[in-house]
Amino acid sequence: MKIFRTMASVVVTIMIATLIVAGARAAAADSIDPDADFKAFRDYFTKLFPNVPLNDFVNGPYSMDAELRKQWEAIDDFPPYDFAIDRGKQMFATPFKNGKSYGDCFPDNGIGIRQNYPYFDDKTGEVITLELALNRCREANGEEPYSYVKDEMASLTAYMAFTSRGKPFDIKIPDDPRALAAYQKGEEYFYARRGQLNFSCASCHVQNPGNHIRTEVLAPALGIVAAMPIYRSEWNGMGTMSRRLVTCNSQVRGVPLKPQDELYRDVEYYLSYMSNGLPISGPGARP
Amino acid sequence: MRGRTAHGTALFVAAVLAVVLFAGARASAQTLPGQALAFDRSKGNCLTCHDIKGGDSPGNLGPPLADMKTRFPDRKELAAIVFDETKRNPQTVMPPFGRNLILTDGEIEAIVDFLYTR
Amino acid sequence: MRVWICLAATCWLFRAGAAQAASTEADFKTAMAVAETAEQDAGTLKNQWIPTEQALAAAKKAAAGGDFDAAVAQAKEAEALAKASIAQAKEQQTAWKAGIIR
Repeated sequence: MKIFRTMASVVVTIMIATLIVAGARAAAADSIDPDADFKAFRDYFTKLFPNVPLNDFVNGPYSMDAELRKQWEAIDDFPPYDFAIDRGKQMFATPFKNGKSYGDCFPDNGIGIRQNYPYFDDKTGEVITLELALNRCREANGEEPYSYVKDEMASLTAYMAFTSRGKPFDIKIPDDPRALAAYQKGEEYFYARRGQLNFSCASCHVQNPGNHIRTEVLAPALGIVAAMPIYRSEWNGMGTMSRRLVTCNSQVRGVPLKPQDELYRDVEYYLSYMSNGLPISGPGARP
Repeated sequence: MRGRTAHGTALFVAAVLAVVLFAGARASAQTLPGQALAFDRSKGNCLTCHDIKGGDSPGNLGPPLADMKTRFPDRKELAAIVFDETKRNPQTVMPPFGRNLILTDGEIEAIVDFLYTR
Repeated sequence: MRVWICLAATCWLFRAGAAQAASTEADFKTAMAVAETAEQDAGTLKNQWIPTEQALAAAKKAAAGGDFDAAVAQAKEAEALAKASIAQAKEQQTAWKAGIIR
């Protein structure tokens, strides 16, 4: 009898040990590794386009198509977003009714800091984008928030991007499970299919960069947020990050989320982290 | 009595034939219904990704649609691709026109008819 | 004689095809409730589709105009679309990983 009890104990011990190891391996497989993602992401695009200099990816479709690039360079003497920069500079310098101004809400008075956004705020446990920070600044100083998809927000972010032109993205993911979770939610949003047309962001920007839908050349996902906000000829005007995300959703026949929805901020966080080291090129012009 | 019935029947049949032929002639003089569906942005919108003879400014996410009768002799296979290409290729970017209720079965059949003329 | 029988038969067939039970306002309300619940569920999953919203709007409009046949048809279409969008969201909860660049 005793030998059976011993054998049973041994078997059970082995079973438990196996489960612990398997559990650990499963956890490792599921563990979020932004640095591994980052390296794989960058390698994918640089291998796909070996003739595109790394920093040129921030120019989106112009890095993919020589003809398009010529057209873009032709308008560079009078960039269509200049008016937005001027307006944004003026707005930035104009105090709120309470005497404070935008600079008071940001490090370095808000100049040359765009490349640090989005960041993870450990106090509130959420991703803070530049657009969100600007509206929170307004509300904290007794002002009405701006629409995230209209020209005022585009002007402010155009100016702030302009003061950071050329500075490399420096997005941080603190060693905080909530930050990692936000990063992963952003990654999931990017790769998940949505809308009646069943596209994910990756369908166009990972699987088909440089290809064209009708006549529109698709940008690579690497560096895709570096040029925001953009003047889009198709829109005859400026478009914020929020406007672009909302439009992409509708184009695949998905009902857009509210601008600056948690998932939109998470996907911006993910894409910005993937673009770390690449220079801010905003505000940008696009066809 | 018999003579008049045969005469009446012949007239009826002739009338029906005339209507059918006339309607058929009008259809082929206009765009095939399948082509209109294929090119319509709110329907097949095929030109967004495919080069198809008769269409302008096509995209290139998918292969050109030519020699379709040779390449897809099995009509059911072609219809299945339009219905849901993810079944063959889970990573495809082609929308599942049938599964996601973008096109009706009848519309898919009409588009297949059209594709077989390319 | 045979001509008249043919014509009469054809007419009867058409009439039979058209003579389905007409939908009532109650039918519409039931169909609409089902569709709207499904669309709310899709909203919880943050995956609603534009055509679903369009079908719901078309159903309401048809009902407001008293055309309950069309209203019910649109509501049922909306339900089918909402359910397809829910199926997509649920499938993508795991399927999304297949696309990750490794």
